[in-house]
Amino acid sequence: MRDQIAKYAARLVADRSALPGRIAFAAHDDVLISNGNREMAKLCEGVLSSLSCLGLVAASQSFPIADFLVRRAPAGESRIVPRDTETRTFLHDIPFLRREELAGDPTRRIAKLLGNRKGMIAEGLGVVAAGTVTVEQAYINYSSVFHSTFVKYLLDVLTDGFLLRGEKEAFDRFRAGWLRPLSAEGLAFRSGPIGDPGEILAEIAAVGRHTVERGLVDSFFGNISYRLGDVVYISQTAASLDELPGRIDPVPADNSSTAGITASSELLAHRRIFEAGGARAILHGHPKFAVAMSMLCEEKDCPIKDCWKDCDKVRLLGGTPVVAGEIGAGGLARRVPPVIAKPGKALVYGHGVFTTGRTDFAEAFRAMVDVENWCRGEYFRRLAAKRPG
Amino acid sequence: MELSPTNGWRGSLLHVDLTTGTARAETIPRDLLTHYLGGRGLGVRLLRETHTLDPYHPDMPLVFAVGPLCGTPAPTAARLAVVSRSPLTGTVYDCSAGGRFAHRLKSAGFDALRIVGRSPRQVAIAVTPVGAEIFPADSLWGKTVGETKRALSGKGSVAAIGPAGENGVLFACIMMGEGNAVGRGGLGAVMGSKNLKAVTVDGDLPVGIADRTRFDRARQDVMRLFRASPVIFGELGISEYGTPALVDLMRQRRMAPTENFRKTVFERSGNYSGPAIRKAYGGKKDGCHGCPIQCKRSAPDGTHLPEYETVSHFGALNGIDDLRSIVRSNTACNEQGLDTITAAATLSAWGEGRGRFPDAEEVPALLEDIARRRGEGELLALGSRRVAEAMGNPGLSMSVKSLELPAYDPRGAYGMALAYCTSNRGGCHLRAYPISHEILRKPVATDRFSFSGKARIIKIAEDTNAAIDSLVACKFSFFGATLEEYAELLSATTGEDYTPQSLKEIGERIFLTERFYNCANGFDAGDDRLPERFFREPGSGGEGIDVPPIDEKRFEEEIGKYYRIRGLTPRGTFTDPGYLSGLP
Repeated sequence: MRDQIAKYAARLVADRSALPGRIAFAAHDDVLISNGNREMAKLCEGVLSSLSCLGLVAASQSFPIADFLVRRAPAGESRIVPRDTETRTFLHDIPFLRREELAGDPTRRIAKLLGNRKGMIAEGLGVVAAGTVTVEQAYINYSSVFHSTFVKYLLDVLTDGFLLRGEKEAFDRFRAGWLRPLSAEGLAFRSGPIGDPGEILAEIAAVGRHTVERGLVDSFFGNISYRLGDVVYISQTAASLDELPGRIDPVPADNSSTAGITASSELLAHRRIFEAGGARAILHGHPKFAVAMSMLCEEKDCPIKDCWKDCDKVRLLGGTPVVAGEIGAGGLARRVPPVIAKPGKALVYGHGVFTTGRTDFAEAFRAMVDVENWCRGEYFRRLAAKRPG
Repeated sequence: MELSPTNGWRGSLLHVDLTTGTARAETIPRDLLTHYLGGRGLGVRLLRETHTLDPYHPDMPLVFAVGPLCGTPAPTAARLAVVSRSPLTGTVYDCSAGGRFAHRLKSAGFDALRIVGRSPRQVAIAVTPVGAEIFPADSLWGKTVGETKRALSGKGSVAAIGPAGENGVLFACIMMGEGNAVGRGGLGAVMGSKNLKAVTVDGDLPVGIADRTRFDRARQDVMRLFRASPVIFGELGISEYGTPALVDLMRQRRMAPTENFRKTVFERSGNYSGPAIRKAYGGKKDGCHGCPIQCKRSAPDGTHLPEYETVSHFGALNGIDDLRSIVRSNTACNEQGLDTITAAATLSAWGEGRGRFPDAEEVPALLEDIARRRGEGELLALGSRRVAEAMGNPGLSMSVKSLELPAYDPRGAYGMALAYCTSNRGGCHLRAYPISHEILRKPVATDRFSFSGKARIIKIAEDTNAAIDSLVACKFSFFGATLEEYAELLSATTGEDYTPQSLKEIGERIFLTERFYNCANGFDAGDDRLPERFFREPGSGGEGIDVPPIDEKRFEEEIGKYYRIRGLTPRGTFTDPGYLSGLP
């Protein structure tokens, strides 16, 4: 289990979601072990010993989004409720403890919140997340909280502006120092059409790795597929995009085998997109600015309240159609295929981006880069328009 | 604090004494409901003081218990647990079953039905909101389950035994009229020993929900997770193909038990896969009361189609590839009231012992012989462990604590190997259900060929599933949802606050109570053993997958860890003989 702790501590540094030196993990097998920042590790051990879970992580976010969200929350609030799909589906809400509530030994108070939710925010400390089954699950839950808080913060700032002293300056530093240009430059893609199953598996694995390494997505958010004849090769459910070798299911179109029951929850959407014609490669990820921008709607007096699932309109963001729909067997698989065929790209409200390639992944990858870059640019354009300077 | 008469729990059980022919309603102390929930937990608690009695002792209770979510629109919660002591394994035994019986029992106004005693004549019980009527059932004795159900039509939902239960077959089921089985451990034989042929339940009392808005929100959350789960609502999932959706996956993972676990791949399993069953029978969807998943399948003529375990064990385990024969075997088991897994595994062990597995034509007749205890059936009715011992080769029985292993070869999933052994009811896949993460990648994937962390994972899962079995919810729900959403449903229903953590603590209490009962009946670490075959012989490797024998030393280390994590002695027993007295 120590190897797992080392692996996921390194990942938090590599994906830049946590501050080096401010990361700790604990794991509970027959003995309790921990590693990382000494003070935080001690806290992790204390919290984990009160929970029926195997793993726990505590880490300070590289940009203190969660702290800002807590400080911006009205007095009396005890949780934040991001509205993106990740939160709606898996987290529900994210409870927090304010700095003053952490005075003394906060172990029991943190454990109590984690007894009911996958992750929580401790102001000044960071995000604490538990994994019932594995250390990896704790990392995934941290990553989910990071993603959800990131998206919510972007939207809140755009709506309400900066409310706290030093917040704007911190945000500007984040923009200048943390955000990196997104690009497909320097990447080599196999030219399509790809006719060999072995080549397809290798290319899917390579593209998954590129998607993570280029910062387009966090490793656990997304799926990839390629169609060869009547077979769709698709990444498995809960598979990290940068660890896809051995985690890709070949699924026959006629459902003559159900071995692909472990395929991504978006198999249905991928199939319908292929059926709509024109695509051999599909890339799906959750780039943060695209997710945030997809949730901005300027419709006035709209009677629809649950936009993320009930809206049947098609909006455009820089030429990318935006539709609503729940994941898996929800409405996404019905609404994306009709709009993606022509532009080769589509956004799902609060969820993520689908892009396609007619013969290979180069086109799909570049399209995803373009969508996120456009959304990023548009976000900052709107933010600048909202505030002077 | 007074129980609300309608929110979640009824607060009442119906006690029936078949020796005296009397019945009375009893109040269930609130403490027991809040600390044991219902279903398995409540049933296990109600067994206290009688847990060392012989399974056939008249005073041994047979408890039918529903959960606090039953009767509400909580997804997959129209289930109950039947609890007693198993004549097959000698362990405390519970089995979760769906259908409509649970819903009707709750609607009759009871959280539980506790049956004790032995009737001087063959009887049935009719439960309604006014209580229980015990009536003669001599004319039903000897009838099949289907015949019994038809004879009792008009009395609500039926739970009945077939000839197997009447004749004391050690793996006799109690069959719900809708085709669901209270299977595995022989509780049908316990029911038969009481001279009880059937129980009918009927009622229409509503169940209240303390906070409807909170409940509806939690229900929506559950349904969203179901839709996001490829295993549940995916195009290749169990809602489309039923549990036989696993046939192709287990073949691909090279862990489908074949020819009494001598091999782990059966090349002709495609003949009875989910798609093959759909092609042959159409696969009309069917399921438990109010369940959105509808994982059961039936043929156009209403014949219930077999589950994954059944097709695989009547198929690969006996080297049979004829789907129609497998369906006939399944029907025979349902009609006679036999557990399909143990029946098929016992035939397989016997087949290996005699040098020839039974062929497709032989099996249905053998099953009837077992149920009637005639010819070869007299021996086969005792289950594989006793059959193998009688044949002078105990190693033939692929069982743990005398319960036959289901259709997941432990050499292909080491958490499963461990969980078969630590299960309180013997070789069962459902206590910890590690297939969820080792094969189906839910909630996250674990390395199926590694023991790392598995002792802790199994412990947590056992506690979690003990709580789930007490709610009572279907384990398939948790291929999508988690205890977070079900804790919300429970809190909203009862008005009491529960969290995933508090539910797991309740599950731990239930699990340890069961283990304590077992220890009181002489079980210890020596019974937490896999058959030697899995440590000595490899599975069927190939296609880049190696299936070696399990490393016995590593296995022993991990089970030692498990005992430490559970707070047990190295012998798997309790340090405190008064453990139960500290519990509610």
